[in-house]
Amino acid sequence: MGALTDKYCIVGVGETRFMKASNRTPLSMACEAVKKAMDDAGLTAREVDAITSFQIADSTDVANVAQALGIRINYGSVAYSGGSTTEALTAHAIGLIEGGYCNTVAIFRSMNGRTGRRMGGQAPGGVVPPSRAEGDAQFYMPWGFTTPAQHFAPSAMRYLHDFGASTKSFAEVASAFRYHAGLNPKALMRAPMTIEDHQRSRWVAKPFRLLDCCLETDVASAFIVTSRERAYDLRQPPVFILGGSARTYADNPAWNHSRLRPYLQAGNFARQRVWGMSGIRPEDIDVLSIYDAFTYTVILQLEAYGFCAIGEAAEFVKGGRLRIDHELPTNLSGGHLSEGYAHGVALVNEVVRQLRHRADDSCPGWAEGRHTYDRQAGCRQVRRARFGASLGWGTETRGSCLILRSASA
Amino acid sequence: MPGEIDYSKINIIPDQDTAEWWEGTKRHKFLVRQCKQCGHKWFPPFPACAKCTSMDLTWYETAGKGVIHSYVVVTQPILAAFVTAVPYVVGLIELDDCHEADGRLTRVAGVMKDDEAEVAIGLPVEVVFEPTGDPNFIMPRWKICGTASNTWKFTE
Repeated sequence: MGALTDKYCIVGVGETRFMKASNRTPLSMACEAVKKAMDDAGLTAREVDAITSFQIADSTDVANVAQALGIRINYGSVAYSGGSTTEALTAHAIGLIEGGYCNTVAIFRSMNGRTGRRMGGQAPGGVVPPSRAEGDAQFYMPWGFTTPAQHFAPSAMRYLHDFGASTKSFAEVASAFRYHAGLNPKALMRAPMTIEDHQRSRWVAKPFRLLDCCLETDVASAFIVTSRERAYDLRQPPVFILGGSARTYADNPAWNHSRLRPYLQAGNFARQRVWGMSGIRPEDIDVLSIYDAFTYTVILQLEAYGFCAIGEAAEFVKGGRLRIDHELPTNLSGGHLSEGYAHGVALVNEVVRQLRHRADDSCPGWAEGRHTYDRQAGCRQVRRARFGASLGWGTETRGSCLILRSASA
Repeated sequence: MPGEIDYSKINIIPDQDTAEWWEGTKRHKFLVRQCKQCGHKWFPPFPACAKCTSMDLTWYETAGKGVIHSYVVVTQPILAAFVTAVPYVVGLIELDDCHEADGRLTRVAGVMKDDEAEVAIGLPVEVVFEPTGDPNFIMPRWKICGTASNTWKFTE
């Protein structure tokens, strides 16, 4: 067990709507997400005293959010990094509170990921104008690959080669998450998706089709971390942090050319530490979020963190294993693929809601934890939700995770 | 043959770690970084040796031959430079004459001169140097240069 296992909790979650065109500033969206997380927890502006965030494209500074909401912070910072930073900032928050630097930390990510600056750098509506290839980009832009889809595709192609898998395994992931999105009123894409729908969608960067890619989204999302002692006084059942990892790197992280074998990604290096710190095992997990920038990133992380053996995930995901009411309910919100791309924060929020037994679904009594478990009627709550995890991906070479438990576990 | 790449739409900005590398391409040399202490070779040209931490470095001129380790077929262009090039293949190439710190072959990427129909994992390739329209920059690309008995192709 980790020295701080069970001493810190996530006590509030919130987000704006998931939008294709917000017509709002990232600052306004960030304020809404942080305010909603505070309201959810029952915290006032005087009781939150730290704000952190991260960005690699569209964003807003924590100082502006603090000023706008009238929060006087004892700590504020914005990390320059992308996927998998969410879970890492949770680790920062624990360290800051433990060290006495602050008491209660709001973590947010706000971006017009579709109508603002998009991943890969393109302006709204299409291709990148004449671009500066400097730093790392000297060795990828003129070499033919720029966006995440183009970067990750050779790894996926090699995986298919090494393990004799087909992209039907990618389709299983996409279709399971879409089913969950159908149970999530917040989700952007809710219409059912079959394996055939996936296989018929157009190519983007082979072996990736359109339905392998997450949804560029305008959204802000936030959650709040505080100590167990403070958590007991708040509005919601606390969700306890058992352990995790914070931007663990694989060795030799030169990801543009000299790419790793797909089965030696960051999670493989974090796995032993993560489960040792948490005191539970992959088989104990009832609700899982996996950073689904692409369907394939789910495949890799299932293996890396030990949910199945290396080379087996393409088979493991078949037969709806990741669906609600099946063995390993994963991305119950619909995830980045179908709820909307929130850079990982919303994936944590879904696990928190499930572990509180308060998934915000179509059940009239969800806010009090009363669910019907009737999927036809739109219930998204898993019946047994004691332990949960969020696995964060930031390319093959870096990753984070967060292991959580419900107050009743 | 894939379509033309419009390199005028990318401004390459060399820095102190990379300027000599770009100079090499003008003389049709594909350079990799080499450690003077332990002999380790790598690419792109990071400024220290990942095997022994030495920063006492030189350049090694690879023969520019290798094998396709993996690839992506780009069908949707993002950079303006590649709008006329799609569909094109970016190959991930294992160089025959360079090894990483862990002993495996050093990998480099680049746009293939060949069409998707011809590309397969396992095929031998060689570097070709392509003018960009700017005399200061020559871009390496890769071209299939033979056959192999054990190849694999994505056929979906």
